[in-house]
Amino acid sequence: MAITREDVLHLAELSNLRLSEDQIEPLIKDLDNIVGYISQLDELDTEGVEPTYQCFDMKNVWREDTIEEFEANREDLLNLTVESEDNQIKVPKVL
Amino acid sequence: MKIADKNTKAVDLVREALEKAKEFEQYHCFISMNEARALERAREIDEKIAKGEKVGRLAGVPYALKDNYLSREGVTTAAARMLDNFPSPITATAVAKLEAEGAIMIGRTNLDAYAHGSSTENSYFGPTHNAHDMERVAGGSSGGSAVATALGIVQFALGSDTGGSIRQPASYNGVWGVKPTYGTVSRYGVVAMASSTDTMGCFAKTAEDVDLVMSIMAGKDPKDSTTIDDFWNRELEDAKPKKKKIGLIKDFLGGGVDAEVVKAIRDYADKMKKAGFEIEEVEMPIMKYGLAIYYIVQPAEVASNLSRYDGVRYGHRAAEITDLDSVYSNTRDEGFMPENKRRIMIGNFVLSSGFFDAYYLKAQKARTLLINAYNEAFEKYDALLCAVAPAPAFKLGEKINDPLQMYMEDMMSVLPSLAGLPAISAPFTKSKGGLPIGVQLIGPRKSDQVLLNIAKTVEEVK
Amino acid sequence: MEEYKTTIGIECHVQLNTKTKLFSAVDNDAVDKEPNSCVSPIDYALPGMLPVLNKAAIEKCVRAGLAMNCKINLVSRFDRKHYYYPDLPKGYQITQMYQPIIGAGVIHLPDGSDVHIEHAHLEEDAGKLTHFGTYSLVDLNRAGTPLIEIVSMPDIHSPAQARAYCEELHRLMMYAGVTNGDLYQGNMRFDINVSVSKTDKLGTRTETKNLNSFRSIERAVEYEVKRQIEVLEKGGKVKQETRGWNDATGKTTSQRSKEEAQDYRYMPEPDVPPVVLEQSYVDKVEASMPMMPDEYRSKFGLLNLDHSESEAILNYPILAQRLNEVCDKNISLAPRVAHWFSGVLLSEENQDKNFALATAEELAELSEMVEKKELSSTGAKAVLMEMYDRKNTAKTAHTLAKEMNLLQENDEGALEAIIDEVLQAPECAKAADDVRNGEMKAIGFLVGQVMKKSKGKANPATVNGLIKKKLS
Repeated sequence: MAITREDVLHLAELSNLRLSEDQIEPLIKDLDNIVGYISQLDELDTEGVEPTYQCFDMKNVWREDTIEEFEANREDLLNLTVESEDNQIKVPKVL
Repeated sequence: MKIADKNTKAVDLVREALEKAKEFEQYHCFISMNEARALERAREIDEKIAKGEKVGRLAGVPYALKDNYLSREGVTTAAARMLDNFPSPITATAVAKLEAEGAIMIGRTNLDAYAHGSSTENSYFGPTHNAHDMERVAGGSSGGSAVATALGIVQFALGSDTGGSIRQPASYNGVWGVKPTYGTVSRYGVVAMASSTDTMGCFAKTAEDVDLVMSIMAGKDPKDSTTIDDFWNRELEDAKPKKKKIGLIKDFLGGGVDAEVVKAIRDYADKMKKAGFEIEEVEMPIMKYGLAIYYIVQPAEVASNLSRYDGVRYGHRAAEITDLDSVYSNTRDEGFMPENKRRIMIGNFVLSSGFFDAYYLKAQKARTLLINAYNEAFEKYDALLCAVAPAPAFKLGEKINDPLQMYMEDMMSVLPSLAGLPAISAPFTKSKGGLPIGVQLIGPRKSDQVLLNIAKTVEEVK
Repeated sequence: MEEYKTTIGIECHVQLNTKTKLFSAVDNDAVDKEPNSCVSPIDYALPGMLPVLNKAAIEKCVRAGLAMNCKINLVSRFDRKHYYYPDLPKGYQITQMYQPIIGAGVIHLPDGSDVHIEHAHLEEDAGKLTHFGTYSLVDLNRAGTPLIEIVSMPDIHSPAQARAYCEELHRLMMYAGVTNGDLYQGNMRFDINVSVSKTDKLGTRTETKNLNSFRSIERAVEYEVKRQIEVLEKGGKVKQETRGWNDATGKTTSQRSKEEAQDYRYMPEPDVPPVVLEQSYVDKVEASMPMMPDEYRSKFGLLNLDHSESEAILNYPILAQRLNEVCDKNISLAPRVAHWFSGVLLSEENQDKNFALATAEELAELSEMVEKKELSSTGAKAVLMEMYDRKNTAKTAHTLAKEMNLLQENDEGALEAIIDEVLQAPECAKAADDVRNGEMKAIGFLVGQVMKKSKGKANPATVNGLIKKKLS
């Protein structure tokens, strides 16, 4: 499939990227090349093959339900944010 | 490995490293130095030695840290504007293990932003130069660490390898590089790229040094559910191959690979024969699909893993904010490099409704076929041999405007990554132009030390 | 309008009462805690942080599944659901899109109807946003709390049935012990999917999100049904959309229409290996499950209590358990205990009592004392209250009644003495004569006098008999 300007704008929205006009044109070409390349998998027969999401089978990796100490506390974390108030992270109003 | 003791002061080892770092500044290996803290730690270690107290296996050894590892020492940038002022309150498990053994981080090395790239040109802080030719790329994404090792600034450096990011720069700069079995070293505290193929490894000038560093970093970590039990516990010389049989991947002896590189691989195969190995050419047709599989699976995981960088809780936040949307979209536009954006968008494309089955699911099924092909091969061979990259280091700027050409660099390195297999990049020869060419050995899970043992044996053949 | 058929499906989010969060080992109980005080670097989504699954959440899922008669899927996996919101630190929620741990099942409602469960999956909760004039504040205490999302089939057809389903779901989760079940704290939140149609073909549905009281569920369904029928009657079309409920106005209002629906780009979670359970493990959990409301219902059916009475008791697992234990001791003593529970214990002023304090033995004993006339029913209620006072836990009902001076006097000898005294008293002479002459209504006065002298401890019936005997 060919990547159109509309596709790029849609993907930019999905990706939460506000792209300036000068970025859009090259992206149409680049993404089209890349999608064209990865589409060659079509010729591969994967009928009845199970997908691999993790390289080898691990299972039931879990911990006990007990509270642990962490390296960073609330202050360490909130110090990283641009704006905080009353020990909470401050963001422009969510509509 | 030169380790601090009664006669060798840690402070001197660190000073020497810091001086060399200055001397080679123009290569731009480092994003930030850790001078004050490094010297402080060196003194502490010297005091311990003076008091006859126990010091670790890497006492006073200066090392360089790829700047995508979190550490409370300094700022972790991942070479992206998004994190250009991120003082991590966390230290990665791998770093903590090294420091417990007395290793001293002298600086944070350059990389392609978020490890997206094969040249270290996609860094917000500018490119790193090849140790053997200032005009050429260092390779990537762990370019800074590879060059810092090659220039002898440090005895070892940490890297991360998701599809070749340790092996390719190791080959480009003529040093040893190990991409371990998936799950060998904890990913906790390392900026995630593609979770299902991210591995933590290192660079050094000898097989022994690589082996020592890896043996320290390896092991299960309760903070990373995908780590496996520590298997890196043998002496290197005890990790002998059983079959003494190597498969030479035929599919990479022709199209797409430089004649000079193919010749190097054939020469290495001959040297292996001298070392007593039986060499057999093996055809693995699935291999040619590796890059396509990788450039579906990896961008999908990249897009997902980079969702957390939104300007809300930490890192960069765009100055021009009108509403919440602009916090996200302006911050992400400013904070990411073009290559980051391409991968995020490709990832969201292959995951989006309507395309998931045709691309993402299809790739994960093809991945199973790839793994099956490897399993079959390892019933006959101790290891598979092929090149690391299709050509020696290319010129700076040569491929930066052609992403797909840049991706082609990874055609042979992504394969073991997709299968979670160990793969090493061993220095071997040089091109006519004097550029290093390394070889890649791939083995079954947990055969990491065997691969090093094989390459060391071959290296010793005169 | 009755020719319209209403069809309702309900999604319920249940917060699990584990000690720590689903993927990070911090305190999962944020009630009355400072903002962001239960937040780890994992919940805050720092770079390089990885989820580590809480084993206890898996066991609670199995318990919840069994409580709903659901198939437990021995193999389950986690997936990432992507969207951007300030209360979602990672930019994705870890959930179970493709292989949930809880499969199909069915819930039997008190009215005899069945509601089928499509599936239920384990996922993490989001944080909390508080809105101010120009900005919002983010508190991540709740981010990462384990949730089970229970998805029902569209088997519900009336506001009352919708409420009954949610109430029963609440009971089942409480009995299974998987949640604190505090609706006010948002421990259980409901999304209702409502559609109406005149034909067998389902109408367009709307989803009203985040209802957190049984009453609002019933009202919201009522409103949506009415609203949708009005739209259709006016010749309009119902829009498929997400709506919000306003408890003050009693109305639902449009929030987001399906057209603008998001693409969540689900992806298998590479950081968390799959959960693979042994059937033997599931069996072990099943063996540890308590008696469920249904079984209690069939048992209490024998006590011919009225419906509201037994359902009220069923809302309190500990009371249902006690009543059941009394049944097992002596079923004839049980109805009285049931009345005490529904009539006395569950009245407003006693809600704070610890219902576990009185044992089945003590309750049965108390009921038996009334049976044997050793205690008046008023006296019994007074003793009952004392039983729920911690300082009395060691005392039997009899001891308490004695201490409280409430034991009725049935010893005829002692009584006769008092009666003779009364009959000789001049003020009683007239009444005594009347009785002798067969004017029996006068006997009441005499009994009253005896009761007074015995300070209420005499058993009126016995007294009555004895006086008759003496004066005949």
